Order: sequence, then structure tokens, then C-alpha cells
Amino acid sequence: MIRYIAGRLPSAVVVLFLASILIFSVMRLVPGDPALALAGPDATPEAIAAIRHSLGLDKSIPAQYLTWIGDVLILDLGRSFVLGGQISDLVLAGLGNTAVLAGSALLLAVVLSLVLSVAVVVWPKKWLTSVVNLLNTLSVALPNFVTGVLLVLVFAVLIPVLPSGGVPPGGYLARPDITFQYLLLPSLCLALPVAAALTRFLSEALRTEMAQQYVITARAAGVPRWNLVTRSALRNALPTMLTVLGIQTGHLLGGAVLVEAIFAWPGIGQLIEQGIGRRDYPVVQVLLLLSVTIFVLIQLLTDIVHAYLDPRIRIGGQQ
Amino acid sequence: MTVADQSVDERVWRSRPVGAALTHGQGLAGVLILLVIAVAGIAAPLLTHYGPNEQIEGANLLGASAQHWFGTDQVNRDVFARSLHGIRINLVIVLVAVPVGAIIGSLAGLVSSINSVADVIAQRIFDVILAFPLLILAITLVAITGPGVAPVIAVIVAAEIPLFGRLVRTTVLKVRELPFVESAEVIGAGRWWVLRKHVLPNAVEPLGVQIALSMSVAVFAESAMSFLGIGVRPPDPSLGSIVAGAIPNLDANPAYAIGPLVIVSALVLSFLLIAQGLGKAHRI
Repeated sequence: MIRYIAGRLPSAVVVLFLASILIFSVMRLVPGDPALALAGPDATPEAIAAIRHSLGLDKSIPAQYLTWIGDVLILDLGRSFVLGGQISDLVLAGLGNTAVLAGSALLLAVVLSLVLSVAVVVWPKKWLTSVVNLLNTLSVALPNFVTGVLLVLVFAVLIPVLPSGGVPPGGYLARPDITFQYLLLPSLCLALPVAAALTRFLSEALRTEMAQQYVITARAAGVPRWNLVTRSALRNALPTMLTVLGIQTGHLLGGAVLVEAIFAWPGIGQLIEQGIGRRDYPVVQVLLLLSVTIFVLIQLLTDIVHAYLDPRIRIGGQQ
Repeated sequence: MTVADQSVDERVWRSRPVGAALTHGQGLAGVLILLVIAVAGIAAPLLTHYGPNEQIEGANLLGASAQHWFGTDQVNRDVFARSLHGIRINLVIVLVAVPVGAIIGSLAGLVSSINSVADVIAQRIFDVILAFPLLILAITLVAITGPGVAPVIAVIVAAEIPLFGRLVRTTVLKVRELPFVESAEVIGAGRWWVLRKHVLPNAVEPLGVQIALSMSVAVFAESAMSFLGIGVRPPDPSLGSIVAGAIPNLDANPAYAIGPLVIVSALVLSFLLIAQGLGKAHRI
């Protein structure tokens, strides 16, 4: 196991290193000189030079990169040029909101897919399978922002029962019922494609498992279908489920940008979008690196958990 | 390789012509939906007598009617006319970006299946691109270039390259292991001859499926980027930016949002259906 992790780790580090260089160079290629913008139109050349020096922009590009990545690694993110506050405070607040949204979306997706795929396998009725397949196709075909806008239209505008966006005003813990109302639409919107992908793989895995010899024998001996699904088939389908879940969790980050824009949810996605709009590049740079790091770490974690659950992977990995 | 494995492989590799896949079942449904939407986009000037940016006197946020199918927007433009022109931009971007990405990616995959040094370099580049979720990649790129049609195309191309690269690489390596290719090599067939005669024809079908899948993603990518304000620049109409404009006006004119949303979903669905049709074709 340790050998598998040791083998998998370097490639993740290399990817993160290359991605950080890419993000850093992109932000240096952005048109416009931040020192000039900060100094204002009437600044003397000396003042501009002083600002440039205080931002470290007079050093060579590799030196600037090393300073930046060094600061990021010790979580000293500096101040935002535009908003004035500490970048780390901004990022933490955004990360918290995105984590709440993504966490509830994941929970919703897992529950939905478990219920649907177990139902399809335990009661193999044709109509039920067709309904689940239809829901699946729709969730895949309807992009996040389509379902998001439709949900707002139906549940906040035509039948105004839920808020159209924003976070619960008193914080998440003040009134659980209000929090639930605010979370329901955005997390459902984010959860649907994940639930669809999970259901497709899970129901397929369960079906394969239920056709195995040991299941047929147990069925013949009178073990109820329900017990077989929950005790045996689900356990064996777990590695597949976790892999799909890991991949989908990574993609949640991209989806979150859209969902946060639709539902005015003040998370990472909205921060990135606003940062680009206000040309607040130090913030954008950190947020992009953070998104990529989370994405790569989730992939790494997925691989490791999968290898832990399925010995064939780690043995294959050592060859 | 056991007998059971071989029979599975035979089923995967024996093909039905692509044409048959597109004229039956799901494939046909996808082609029909796509055709209807594409024709509506091409024939936009015939289907509506309003220009995409024409401001109509006194028509502020009207609801859907026979005159304005999707109603009008907050600056008195006909949403149906804008949506039809949005289809044009969307399909042009999709039909340019996906083939370009597919060609570059496939060539990269082909080279990396032959040369081990190129392989290492290509795999690292693919890894880095794949480390960015699609919209995060889009934001990163647009930060340099600013919004526009060209950056949208660039984002889609960049996102497609690793997918096609990996697909072609694994397909080539898999086909090369097949007994008939090995036998051809044993009797002295040259590397390029084998590649041209056996490997490429076998790679065509998984590529077809991937192209259709990528097109459905590209439809989404363009509309999502324009929705976020990092795609097609206003006042040019894009399905995504029309929806973005509709959100503050949902109560006044729901059709303003529903119209373009239905078109985007139908486009995504049509490419998915085509991909499923093609995928089935090469498994029968």
C-alpha cells in the first residue's frame, strides 16, 4: 500500500508544480501593469518604481515565481490590491461556502443514486428502469446552468416557495430550516449530474453483481433479494462507486462556478469570477491554484482509496 | 489471452457502418434534432423578420406571443431572433473547435504511441491540462486574452487535446497487441503499413464516439462561458449570454430564459444521442 502511494505521489506533485508555473505565467501575461494601475495616472516614475519594488515586480520572473510559491506554501497570501483585505480571509470565507454547497450536493447525490439504483435492482420492473434511465439522460443532457435557471424559475419565481439565491442571512447554524431552504435549490442543481453518473455506474455494477454465481446460489437457497443487494452486492460495488464519486467531486468545482453565479452563492467560483472582473490577479492566482490543488488531491485520494479497496490495482501499480 | 477475452474483443472490433448508426434509433433521433436546430440557425433571417440586435419600439420585456415567440428582452430585442443567431455562433464554434482539438490531440496520441520520449512529454502536458476543471481552465485562459470567440475556441481545443491524445494512444497500443496485427508484423509488414492498414481503421470508431461526445461538451462550454461573461462578447447573441440576461427578468418574461435553455439542452442531447448511437454501432 505504502509502495503504491509512494509511486503515485510524485506524478501528482509534478502536475501541481507544472500547473502552478502555468497559472503564474498566465497571470504575468495579463495585459496591464499592476504597479501602474495602483499608482494612478499622475504618479511620478519614482513612485511607480517604488510600488513596483514593494510588490517585488522588479525582480526576475523565476525569482518572482519562487517568492510567490514560497509564500503560498507557508499560507502567507498577502493583501488584495483591490479589496484591501487579507487574501487568506477572503479565500477561507469563499472556501467555507463552497464546501457547504459541494458537501450537501454530494450527500444529496449519494442518497439519490443509492435509492434509485437499489430500487432498480431490487424491483426489476420495466417501467421503473425506464423512468430512471430517462431521469439519467435528462440529468446528463441538461447542463448545470439549464437546471439551475429552471429550478429558480419554477420554485422561486412561478411558485415562490424557496429563495432564488444567496446564503442564509444568519449563518448556517442559526436556523436549520432556513439553511435547508437556501441550500436546497443550488445543491440539487449541483447534485443532479453527479447523481446521474453515480446511478448509471452503480446500477450497472449491482446488476453485474446480482448475476454472479454466488448470488444465484444464495437466491436459490432462499436469501431475499433485498439482503443480497444491501449486504453483498453493494459492498462489491463500492470501489466503482468511490472512483466515480471521486471523479465527479473534482468536476463539482467547475460546476460550482456556474451554480454559484446563478444562485449568488459567495463561494470560490464567485470570488474567481469577481476577481477576473476587477482585475484582482493576486486573488485569482491563488484561487486558481487552490482549485487545481483540490482537484488533483481528490484524484489522488480516489486512486489511493480505490487501491486500498481493490488489491488488484495496487499489485498492478507495482509492476 | 483466453478464448473468452477474444470473443469480447471480436464483438468490440467488428463494426457496423457509421451510416447505419446514424439512420436508426438513437443516432437517427440525434441527427434529426441537430438538423432541425441547425436549419433553424441557418435560416434565421427567413424565420424571423427581426435582426438579432434590432431594438423594437415599445417592446420591453413582452411575454411570449405569436409576434415574439420567446418575447422580448430588457432592451427591446426579439429573443427568438437572438436565439436563432446564437445557434449559429454556437455551432460554428463547436464545428471548428472540436475537429481542431481532435486532430491535434490524435496526432499527439499517435506520436506518443510510437516515441517514448514524446510519450513522457505528452503525458505530462495532458496531466496538467486535465488538472484544470473545464470552466477553471476557461477562466485562466480568458484572463490573458479577454472574452471573445477565439478564446472560447482555444479553451475547447485545449480541453479536447488530452482526451483525444489518450484515446488514440490506448487504442493504438491495444490494436497493436491483437493477434492479426502481430501476425502481420511477424510476416514482415512495416510499422507504417500496419499503422495505416490496421491500426487507423480500428481507431476511427472510438474517435467518432469521442467527437460526438466532445461536441456535446463544447455546446455546453460555449454557452456556459458566455453565460459567465467570458465567452462571446455582447451585443453578439449567444445562447448562454441570453440566459444570463434573462435571470434578473424571470418574472417579467419566463420565455426569455426557457427558449434558449431548451435550444441548448436539445443541442447537447442531440450530440449525446449521436454518440450513443455510434457507440452501440461499434459494439454490435
